[in-house]
Amino acid sequence: MIVAILLLIPFLAATFMVVATPTRQARVVALASTLMTLVFTGWLCFAYQGDPVIAVDSDWVPAWGLRLVMGYDGIGLLMILLTALVFPFIIGAGFGERLQHPSLVNALLLYTQAFLLGVFTAQNALLFYIFYELALLPVFFLLLYWGGERRRGITVRFFMYTLLGGLSLLFGILYCMVQEGGFNGDFSALAALDLPLDTQIWLFWVLFLAFAIKLPIFPFHGWQPDTYSMAPVQGTMVLAAVMLKMGLYGILRLVFPIVPEGAAYWQNTVIILSLIGAIYGGVIAFRQWDLKRLIAYSSLSHVGLLCAGLFAWNGYAVTGSLYQAFAHAIMVVGLLYLTGALRERVGSTEMGAMGGLKARTPRLAALFLLVMVNAIALPFTQGFIGEWLMFAGIWQLNGWMAFGAVTTIVLGAIYMLYAYQRVMLGEDKWQLEMDDATLRDHLVLVPLIAVTFILGVYPAPILNLINGPVQQLITAIPMLP
Amino acid sequence: MEQEVITAIRLVPLEHYVILSLLLFSIGIAGVVFRRNTIIILMCLELMFNSVNLLLTAFSAYHSDPRAQVFVFFIMLVAAAEVTVGLAILVMMKRNVDSVDVNQLNRLKW
Amino acid sequence: MVTADLLFSLVPALPLVGAVLIASARRYLSGTVAGMLATALMVGAFVLTAVAFSTFDPSTGGHTVRVFDWIQITGMDIPFAFRYDALALTMMLLVTGVGSLIHLYSIGYMHNDARASTFFAQLNLFSFAMLLLVMGSNLLITFIGWEGVGLCSYLLIGFWYNVPDYNYAARKAFVMNRIGDVGMVLAMVLLFQQFGTLEYSVILEQADGFSANAPILIAATLMLFVGATGKSAQIPLFTWLPDAMAGPTPVSALIHAATMVTAGIYLVVRCSGLFELVPLTQDVILVIGTATALLAASIGLFQNDIKKVLAYSTVSQLGYMFAALGMGAYSAAMFHVIMHAFFKALLFLGAGSVIHALGGEQDIRKMGGLKGSIKITYVTFLIGTCAIAGLPLLSGFFSKDLILAFAYQRSPVVYAVLVFGALLTTFYMFRLLFLVFFGSYRGKAHPHESPLSMTVPLMVLAALSVVGGVINLPHLFGGHEALKHFLATASSGISNETLHLSVTTEWILMGSTVLLVTSTIAYAYGRFARKAELDGEPETMPLFKRLLAERWRIDPLYAALFERPFGWMSTKLHTVGESRIMIPLTNGVGGAALRIGRVVRRVQTGNASFHLLAMVVGIIAFLFITLLST
Repeated sequence: MIVAILLLIPFLAATFMVVATPTRQARVVALASTLMTLVFTGWLCFAYQGDPVIAVDSDWVPAWGLRLVMGYDGIGLLMILLTALVFPFIIGAGFGERLQHPSLVNALLLYTQAFLLGVFTAQNALLFYIFYELALLPVFFLLLYWGGERRRGITVRFFMYTLLGGLSLLFGILYCMVQEGGFNGDFSALAALDLPLDTQIWLFWVLFLAFAIKLPIFPFHGWQPDTYSMAPVQGTMVLAAVMLKMGLYGILRLVFPIVPEGAAYWQNTVIILSLIGAIYGGVIAFRQWDLKRLIAYSSLSHVGLLCAGLFAWNGYAVTGSLYQAFAHAIMVVGLLYLTGALRERVGSTEMGAMGGLKARTPRLAALFLLVMVNAIALPFTQGFIGEWLMFAGIWQLNGWMAFGAVTTIVLGAIYMLYAYQRVMLGEDKWQLEMDDATLRDHLVLVPLIAVTFILGVYPAPILNLINGPVQQLITAIPMLP
Repeated sequence: MEQEVITAIRLVPLEHYVILSLLLFSIGIAGVVFRRNTIIILMCLELMFNSVNLLLTAFSAYHSDPRAQVFVFFIMLVAAAEVTVGLAILVMMKRNVDSVDVNQLNRLKW
Repeated sequence: MVTADLLFSLVPALPLVGAVLIASARRYLSGTVAGMLATALMVGAFVLTAVAFSTFDPSTGGHTVRVFDWIQITGMDIPFAFRYDALALTMMLLVTGVGSLIHLYSIGYMHNDARASTFFAQLNLFSFAMLLLVMGSNLLITFIGWEGVGLCSYLLIGFWYNVPDYNYAARKAFVMNRIGDVGMVLAMVLLFQQFGTLEYSVILEQADGFSANAPILIAATLMLFVGATGKSAQIPLFTWLPDAMAGPTPVSALIHAATMVTAGIYLVVRCSGLFELVPLTQDVILVIGTATALLAASIGLFQNDIKKVLAYSTVSQLGYMFAALGMGAYSAAMFHVIMHAFFKALLFLGAGSVIHALGGEQDIRKMGGLKGSIKITYVTFLIGTCAIAGLPLLSGFFSKDLILAFAYQRSPVVYAVLVFGALLTTFYMFRLLFLVFFGSYRGKAHPHESPLSMTVPLMVLAALSVVGGVINLPHLFGGHEALKHFLATASSGISNETLHLSVTTEWILMGSTVLLVTSTIAYAYGRFARKAELDGEPETMPLFKRLLAERWRIDPLYAALFERPFGWMSTKLHTVGESRIMIPLTNGVGGAALRIGRVVRRVQTGNASFHLLAMVVGIIAFLFITLLST
């Protein structure tokens, strides 16, 4: 019931928007809906006792033995919280975007939120898959109709590519459900499968491919830069802040429990690929000229670290990876919002068109700096806690991998500070008339920054939420070297 | 009366009916495939229907099984409906492109 | 929590409050008001520290003050806690004391700057971070401060953000620090894996169980030292410090001379128990420290920017401190840290006063003869110069001689190099002094003495530079090395160190050094005070001198070795790796679907008779297949 309410709030609001098509009030309605979801999620977090919650359990397709099971544990709740927390800001970013047909845009965003919440509450693999693909649909339309230049080709390619991964995942899930005999596909039933090693070795990639593309890790990231830079700001926010975490969550729910030996077999390969991606993205980000492309590559770099942390598969690294996932969502929404705010003022997201803006917009520059501080993971920000835990965890596995992971802190400093310099510092060469940070900018950015610092200084609420489930997972699925 | 008709039918050997329908059907196919005039194509379709009808009645008579004749009525009905639609398309075609050549109908593609 | 602990924990809170308050109200505060607020909070922090100091009983060895749980998950418990002991208190007194003076000085120095309140917010934030650095009871808290001071240093170097060179210098400083931080982070994860905690007290206690030169400890100490080289500007990560002089002069005094750059030394002293166990690392530190001391001093000889000379001098003095650490003379290093903070802050502030008097001029070739027009600055600068040169009974004399005595005990080569470095120091410092204050004025501005808020800190620091030595007065002069005994309660390394030279040897060493130094001063006097020998552009100089003036061309070397290849790699990875390989690869998947469709759709010609034919052929083929298969 609880979960149903959670999903229904955005879903009904979106449907209302499609039917009534309000124009002026669209954003306000959407914002109200997301705030309701946030409040409701906050209540869930307070009510959460530490044991997994099964909220919905009923027949679905009795002929096949499929059951509709939804619920959450600490990890799921973290993801729900992340989705609920980020969406008001995504909607809020729309206030400055002035896209056509605001009711449709916001409806699509709300549908996405509903389906994402579905992904994070599904306890059945098939249900998970359905939500997983459904969540992509509204984004597809958002990109196709509200994107920038070359949107059709890029969107179709992005969609095809991720669908390819999705199909592979569907095949993997169906294969497992057939193997399992009962064909009910509950996570618990799939986790009980004890597949032979050689099956696990290939099945790992069948299941992992979808998430590897969605995250994306090197070398599956080719769709990312073009899509990020073409998509409307809100679309990029959804993709980078939440969709990406869906991949992380999927790995935790579907890959490790079903094919633990396969995961152990490929562990080093995946970590090395992820770290290559982390360093590769960091190096490339340095010479990007477009802020959105820079964010795309920095995202690649961060995500590489997240994935490496997850695959290190010990308490520190997995906790760190989840914590960092949260931090990354907050940070990337902030950065993208700033990109939008800069485009409003300068008319472009290219850094060549900026420079010396601090002279005109000192407060915006200060906000930029504070968001950036999280991105380069300085202590007392969320990012630092996550990175420290991941470094400590990866070190337990292998010192050289940890070294590779730690070099990203240098790369992050290099590209982020360079970007900051090119945007904000230097001479005021364009002499453009522009407003400093407005009330709306403050309303969006200050809470994000506050979350960053509060959870950086006092991470206990989140750590307590995920510590228990993570430890259970780790002990339930020991990773043999 | 019925018995007389059946006897009359049975005067001709079954093979002849089969060969005749086969010939009629082949003529129908050839007409549909090779002719360009839409009217002729429609007529050839009818020809094929009727060859099948002929075969059905012949077998019906030889096996003394009336069920096949039910099918014949069905087919006649469907053929009538089909011709109605076909002729309507033909008239529209004549009006729009001023021709009854099927090769004029080449716009049904991507 | 006990009252003393509470007061102790409140020390960093004061500057933090100041930073947040001033930053959020910076548009409504004038620079002077912001400055006074910031200074008041720093003085408050100093008073609190003094109270904490006076109630502290060194014989207990100190204890940990746990403020709250920070990172706590299964298997990892890192509290937010402070270490209340002699080492922390010493550093805190230094940071808040010298910090207060520099805050006070900044009120006058920055009063014309439109963004002065921002400046004070950042300066306060720096003090907060620096206090965390020295107070942390575990490595991670130290690391908070470590990164925090790095950020503030970045902000303050690039304070005048409209000058591209300054921004570059700021970025360079931050990135080089970050390279050191890689070592620091790796050391932390290694120590955590080994000891299951990051608390200094626990690590140092358990480290005793390891044999000397255990591989784990070698790795950990070397990586900690890498972190220290970044923050304390040692070879090979020292080139950021001279560039960091782009910031306002009080910043150079506080961050890049007195406090932040000594963080590396503090860290080694804090972990002295670990370093003691690894002679290999100690040797590395000794070599790097000595080499840095000499290299930086040689570069300082022919610089013409007043702040650059002082910057290289700082690098060189830090080299002395590291050399002392490498010899196991932790108390000597700490002693020099404090003395150096006094006289180097004094010199930087004096330089700031000179620059202020000349309306922003920093080139010493355009100064000269200033001793008449800015008397207070001149006298205090003279005291600072004498102190750094180590003239007898001034602060630098005691601390530097202690290091030299340890060096003599260690090896004559190190001793010779360090003495030579000391002579170079004397030479370039007196060259600076004579070129700035002696002779006749060569510029066009109208020198005027600085306001009281600037001269008072100068006078206080000058007094400290004169008498500072008493805190660790050696037995030779009737003292009993108070600082050493105080610090020994907190650091096992200090309690282990011994200097066993005979009294005669010590006198001889001291005497010879003083003799050499005074003759160097006389030589410099002849070259620069009597006739003011000015250097032209480096191109006109003889080869070796030109190499020195161009700083051994290390900056271009680094640019060619690291910066340009990195940029090249970034570009190439983008133009080739991404655009030619990765993105086409992905697009290939979407593209392949489109391409297959494009081929297959040709079947759909749209010709009705073709469709009919295809249908018939299809049916016939289907029939044949069914017939054949039965």
